[in-house]
Amino acid sequence: MATERQTPSDVRRVSEFLQTFCVVMLAGGAQTLRVERNARRIGTAYGMAVELAMFSRHIMLTVSDGASGETCTAVRSLPAGGPNFTRVQALNALGWRMVNEHLPLEDAWREVEHILSLPSVPPLRLCLLVACANAAFCRLFDGDAVAMLLVFVATLIGFSVRQALSRVGMNPKIVYLCAAFCASLTASCGVVWQLGTTPQTALGVSVLFLIPGIPLINAVQDILDGHVLMGIVRAVQAGMLIAAIALGLSLTMLLVEGAGV
Amino acid sequence: MSDFLLLAGKVAADGLFAVVACIGFALISNASRPVCLMAGLLAGLGHATRYVLLHLGMGITSASLCAATLVSFCSMFCARRWHTPAEFYAFPALLPMIPGMYAYRTILATMHFLSAAEPSAREALLVEIAYNALTTCCVMGALVIGAIVPLFALHEESPLARWRHHRTAGPEGGDAEHGGGARQD
Repeated sequence: MATERQTPSDVRRVSEFLQTFCVVMLAGGAQTLRVERNARRIGTAYGMAVELAMFSRHIMLTVSDGASGETCTAVRSLPAGGPNFTRVQALNALGWRMVNEHLPLEDAWREVEHILSLPSVPPLRLCLLVACANAAFCRLFDGDAVAMLLVFVATLIGFSVRQALSRVGMNPKIVYLCAAFCASLTASCGVVWQLGTTPQTALGVSVLFLIPGIPLINAVQDILDGHVLMGIVRAVQAGMLIAAIALGLSLTMLLVEGAGV
Repeated sequence: MSDFLLLAGKVAADGLFAVVACIGFALISNASRPVCLMAGLLAGLGHATRYVLLHLGMGITSASLCAATLVSFCSMFCARRWHTPAEFYAFPALLPMIPGMYAYRTILATMHFLSAAEPSAREALLVEIAYNALTTCCVMGALVIGAIVPLFALHEESPLARWRHHRTAGPEGGDAEHGGGARQD
């Protein structure tokens, strides 16, 4: 027993693992209920009870061992970062493997490190695909071919601005404002010179690639789940980004107002 | 007959553009490739369904609710097939149905309202703001509720699913006994 006390105890090791696990999942845009279920499930697999409290920027986690009566409580802050489905999906699968295959904690740590190092889509390809997506979106709102082309170019510019500003670590609200402004300014060429029959649609759709759809959907689901606090937090965070988009768009409108917007 | 073909073509085009839009938007959230493709197909199905319903004269809120419910049911089959939670397919598939144009018109009308001088013009703009803002909120709510309620109702641990499972598999044939691998929800 004496030697065991020298190294971190099991409770502490499980707690440290779960802290990282939960924090990455929450920041990656997982539903609050899913994070809680995963944490409890993993705790049970190691014979421990887990209680979890989640706030806007921190989580609080208590792991307790029923047999020895030892408990460990920790507070961890959430890292910044947007939704990352690949991570959440991989961590969710890892949680199940830990339960079903009784994975040793060291192996699970290695898996987590591997998941954190998974590459995302290359920036240039992502930019092109998002531009195509937004152009297709414009068509869904009855935009003509000219409007689709305008939206394509506007999204290319807006999304590059977003990527560039995010890379240097700018505040997300300012990033969204600038990206919305650049995208809508590009699309407003159509309104100024009356290109095609639906330039207004192009202007409206040009900023829609920025709308934080997944956080909004998560917010409603959290509220319906009973995690009202987290739901409101997510709704307010998404709402602030939407306000930034609206501000960027209205800046453009002010600039081109004389041209019949 | 040719009218029908024309409509079918329009519906197919609508679905196709929704597929492209969904895949691009899902990639912003860094969804994995299989999830992207399946979510794209679901989005195409959902958006085409909504198009048909709108064509039949249904309101946009109820049409969105029906389309989201359909997407949600289909996502459960994907979840069972590929052992990934259903939300991963259903939520990105809703993205092309988000009522962006109504939100845009709300902002546009608000800007005009703030700079309008005549009371009669302001009144008209106020109605437009209220109509567009309410439509945006209602469609958004309809989409999420349509997608979530089936997931809640048929979740493995819900009474409805247990009852269904009880009837099909008999009292002792639980999924848990077959190794939890089948249940990655």
